[in-house]
Amino acid sequence: MATSVYLSSPGLEINNVDLTDQCTAASITYTVEALENTAFGSTARTYTAGLANNSITVTLYQSYAATETEASIYALVGTTTTIELSPTVAGLTTPSATSPKYTLTGAYLESHTPINASLGELSTIDLTFTGGTLTKATS
Amino acid sequence: MYVIVSPRLGTPGDKFEPVEGTNIDALLSAGLISTDKPKKSSKVKAEPEQE
Repeated sequence: MATSVYLSSPGLEINNVDLTDQCTAASITYTVEALENTAFGSTARTYTAGLANNSITVTLYQSYAATETEASIYALVGTTTTIELSPTVAGLTTPSATSPKYTLTGAYLESHTPINASLGELSTIDLTFTGGTLTKATS
Repeated sequence: MYVIVSPRLGTPGDKFEPVEGTNIDALLSAGLISTDKPKKSSKVKAEPEQE
């Protein structure tokens, strides 16, 4: 049986802005907090679903050119926005079962590093968007 | 109504239709979109006729 693998090349939009060509890493953490409801008489710990606590982390090349990374991100600190991620760029506009689009709505950006420079290296920034509602679209 | 300025959001000049939860203020302050302003008529005052 052939093995299916995936060469990472996702599409990314932050606040409607397509930053795919500046992105080098992206991950979604889909979490529903576990609330323990074990009681006397139980023989093993048991849990029930609590609140969702989702996050998206991305790494972007920094650019100070007009309408690039810095211009797109700076004003988002301390606010909420929407992030869209798909395994492929095409999935952003036409999601499918094999290329779903994940949308985190109402995600909060707590911090940003406007300058993150090291000698001899391309500058990158790491952003973590937390909270919000995660949905998965396949059509 | 908002108009796309940056090609990262679509075709510049097209109407911008945000997805739910979009931070419009951030896009405006970054100059990625602009508010639509009614276009002024391009009437040019005619020069007086010479006799």
